[in-house]
Amino acid sequence: MEPSPWDPEGVEQSLDAEGQLLDRRAAHGLDLRALYKRLVAARLLDLRLSRLGLPMWVSSAGEEAATVLSAMLAGPEDWLYPSVRDLALAPIRGMDVDEFAQQVLGAAYNGRPGAIAAADLGIGHAPETLGLHLPLAAGQAHAQKLAGPGRMTAALFGEGLTTTAMFHETVALAFACDLPLVLVCKSQLWPEGAPAEAGLLGDSVAERVKACGLWSRRVDGADVVGVYAALDQAFRRARDGRGPGLVEVVATRLQTGEQSADVPAHRDPLERLRRHLDREKQWTPTFQDVIEAEVRGVLERAFSHVQRQAAVREGSA
Amino acid sequence: MNVLERLSEVMAELLRDDLRRVVLGEDVREGGMLGLSRASMQDPALGLRVLATPLTPVASLAHATGLALAGRRPIVLLASATALLEGYGALRELGRVAATAGGERSAPVLIVAPTGPGFGLGGDGADSPEAALTAVPGLRVLVLGDALEAVAMLRACASFDDGEAPTVLLLPRALVLREFMADDFKPSLGRPLGAARVVREGAAATVFAVGAAVDQAFAAVEATGLEVAIVEVSGLAPLDEAGILAAATGGKLVVTHPGGRAHGPGAELVALLADRAILHLDAPVLRVTGAEGPLTGRDESAGLPDVEAIAAAITRVATY
Repeated sequence: MEPSPWDPEGVEQSLDAEGQLLDRRAAHGLDLRALYKRLVAARLLDLRLSRLGLPMWVSSAGEEAATVLSAMLAGPEDWLYPSVRDLALAPIRGMDVDEFAQQVLGAAYNGRPGAIAAADLGIGHAPETLGLHLPLAAGQAHAQKLAGPGRMTAALFGEGLTTTAMFHETVALAFACDLPLVLVCKSQLWPEGAPAEAGLLGDSVAERVKACGLWSRRVDGADVVGVYAALDQAFRRARDGRGPGLVEVVATRLQTGEQSADVPAHRDPLERLRRHLDREKQWTPTFQDVIEAEVRGVLERAFSHVQRQAAVREGSA
Repeated sequence: MNVLERLSEVMAELLRDDLRRVVLGEDVREGGMLGLSRASMQDPALGLRVLATPLTPVASLAHATGLALAGRRPIVLLASATALLEGYGALRELGRVAATAGGERSAPVLIVAPTGPGFGLGGDGADSPEAALTAVPGLRVLVLGDALEAVAMLRACASFDDGEAPTVLLLPRALVLREFMADDFKPSLGRPLGAARVVREGAAATVFAVGAAVDQAFAAVEATGLEVAIVEVSGLAPLDEAGILAAATGGKLVVTHPGGRAHGPGAELVALLADRAILHLDAPVLRVTGAEGPLTGRDESAGLPDVEAIAAAITRVATY
């Protein structure tokens, strides 16, 4: 199949547009059906969040691979510093759904809707200062390094941050101190030209940091197997004391007013993995319905419960 | 030895005393811009906890915050207190991180930085950004006012005995190059960290002085020939309100500090006195401060309050 303007160049393909697994070794150790369930849950969570009217909330539909796989690949002693578009990693790290709903609705801790944090689950918080979670993660990683090898910290963010001093300062720090830090950058392609305020510098963040001396990989966010292999390698390198790295995941955001053109279905990581499972006779419409019903039920219970509690508190205040 | 050389030894002792502590900063593995990590680097057992970081104003402060959240006790050495203004976003995060970071967490970061005129640098190297730092919620800000208390102040700040609020210890450049014998330094403060201290008794007037202004106040009092009390205010945030008010009952008050007057630390002090010591006041509360700046290297001493101006203020309130 001919690549569309939405497909990134310069990436290795493991799962092609038709859902064919080109590199079986890349999927080693990966339960694709379980991953699919996680991805569907993340998508439905995004849909549920879109109905909450959270301030400054932005959909992360289409970007799920980086978030979900980071959470699945992080070990119990690893830390993740998510952006506000990575809320889906909290339940995978083991956060109780009620607690999750409370934090997302701003009923816990700092009371900032749409932000999550849990020290006991190794989830760092997202500071209000844009991008400050990157150097905070660097500090976390430095403490891990001082304690000995075997642990790492990953920080997730969008490519818009890579023009800021915060990003460059963190790269300099991570490199200078040889930290077990993995920067997980979610990049967008702009087939119709990027808006000026995106301030893009070149096409590839991975190439850019390579010139800084950093180990990096660029993968297609619609190719979950490729994302898995790259993150797995980066996390292992960091844990083994082989230094910091950056994984650039080129994702297509599926729900945004900025992109008017029709996004081809194969740019959706869920659809691509679904095609694969279908080819392997591991997907049926019933399987889909069951996952969706289960996830919707859990989310609905948690969010309406917390919203009811909030209403009661307001009523009694 | 000068104050910085003694503090370098104390820094090494601090690393020995608590394995959680790490020293961070640009050039710290070469001793640091002020030489404060020199003694630590001379001890092979401590070198691993002296962590050189690039000069990245925002990231390096947030990086230290991350280390603290992970259970470490970072001591950040800066070449100038004004670097904190470049890293202001991270400083604000440091101040509030304990409340937002998800669960029971604190960030006992100690930042040590020189402030005000004294090295002949002018510009940023002569600025006194104290007021901007006290405006950061959650941050504890202390200024050394007596060179012989440098050791005790650093130890008290690094101990975090009275809470784990992130702390900035400012060392006036005008004080830290003074020479003393090692034994001259007081081993401990003998009062709570940040408590206001009466350093000279006298009934004719009372001068509240911050940092390098304490010595200027002493010189001014000598010049007047009056019996004037001097109160050293070393804790700018939080202010030792009780201690300050207790020392204000004489009712003839002067406030002096380095740096500009508008919205400076003196503004808060005078407002406090006007609010809570009003029944004691027998004269206007006068402020004598340094120049607003910007200062050049040649005229940087204008960043300190002028001795004659303090003396004139004392005479005015004393004879009001």
